Amino acid sequence: MKKLPAIIVSVTIGLTVLAGYFFQAELSTVLSLIVDWGILLAGVAGLIGLGYLAQYHLTRLMKREKGAFFSLITLLVFLFILVAGLTLTTQNPFYRNLILNVQVSVEASFLAVLAVTLLYASLKLIRTRGWTPMSVGFLISALISLVLNLGVGMTESGTVLGELVAFWRRLPIVGARGILLGMAIGGLIVGLRVLLSMHRPYGEE
Amino acid sequence: MTWTLMGWIVIGMAAVLLAAFWILFRTHDFDAIRYSAAIQSLQCAQSSAIERGRSRQLVLGNQLNGWTYPGLGLHALACLPGFLSQESVVEGGLSVAAGDGALAVFARQITRQYYQQGFSLGLHQAGVQTMLPGPTPWSLTAGLLSTHPQKFSGSMALLGYFGAEALLWSEAALGNGGDVFSAGGTLAGQSVLFLNVRDLLIGERVFMMPGKPDANRVSLAGWLTEDVLRLLLIVGLVVGAILKMVGVL
Repeated sequence: MKKLPAIIVSVTIGLTVLAGYFFQAELSTVLSLIVDWGILLAGVAGLIGLGYLAQYHLTRLMKREKGAFFSLITLLVFLFILVAGLTLTTQNPFYRNLILNVQVSVEASFLAVLAVTLLYASLKLIRTRGWTPMSVGFLISALISLVLNLGVGMTESGTVLGELVAFWRRLPIVGARGILLGMAIGGLIVGLRVLLSMHRPYGEE
Repeated sequence: MTWTLMGWIVIGMAAVLLAAFWILFRTHDFDAIRYSAAIQSLQCAQSSAIERGRSRQLVLGNQLNGWTYPGLGLHALACLPGFLSQESVVEGGLSVAAGDGALAVFARQITRQYYQQGFSLGLHQAGVQTMLPGPTPWSLTAGLLSTHPQKFSGSMALLGYFGAEALLWSEAALGNGGDVFSAGGTLAGQSVLFLNVRDLLIGERVFMMPGKPDANRVSLAGWLTEDVLRLLLIVGLVVGAILKMVGVL
């Protein structure tokens, strides 16, 4: 019974947002208000999340766990960026350069590691999954896509070979659409289950 | 017929079917026969990790509400209670990681709620550790890799919205002797995990998770609704293709 007001509020807001997709003109004022509230709440949740992050590293530091030194560095950098962001604002060129130069280079390094890991994982695909139709099909289609994306077999459209190459190029898109449609239906059902309050992860069914 | 009307029809039909099946299963007995080897393996891996005193890690992805895959964040949260029910008999060891503040807050709320319902110290904050290793996909990766146990990994379950970076998470866990299970991710995430994760759910099978291992009426109603909608969609696509081929559309 205690949860009833929360359920009513969430269902009403959920249904209003859903209706807003179809009646944009009529519900634009209410929708913009709800979206503004949503953004505000998401921002507060983000801050709380950062609090969890700081708490985690502080705990590691206090307990002197393995890797506590890195937690100290994380906390110091976090504080520095936070203070710099608050005093200089996010539009300041120095602040933007500081963030982008660190973030972009770290992300590029991760992408490089990912590329190597991807290659390594591809090589041991058969060892992981065995000679199954799925794994063999995956490997062959990945190889064909790689070769086609290199520009090999580029022929004029209208010829039989050209049509075949175009077909092979379209095939992954067809598969992706199939998976996306299935996931969209699944997502719709999950949303409806929560929206209609049939499924309440935060409490008893 | 406009796309808006089409959208209303699909959503309306899904809501009506879901409600109808839910009512049906409330009054009639049901038998949930949906076997998934991957989910069975996940249960074994979790039990094994608990018995051997190893860590259990649950990653809820890096977005609660993504535009391309809107249901994935919510789905990850819906799966969380299933993981918590096992933890009530254990003294800690489960860590729940999220790359979005809202996800982390909701995860902690759900854990706290289960603690209040079950009065299990295993679910207390010290038992189930909810954390936000990083607020962006790559910072989440950096945080996860740095907090991952260096040896003797237990089980790792990947849920929610994530991309190709999940390959690095899974590789770290597998390299340390852990078991990895995945039910989520974008197309890129699912395809890279196909390379090294044996227990993997792809496409709409991802949404089988909240009802497993113990299927309830809501899950069963959801699965059946999904089946009906999928069948209608397939028929619609085939009929549309034929009509286009013969020049009617």
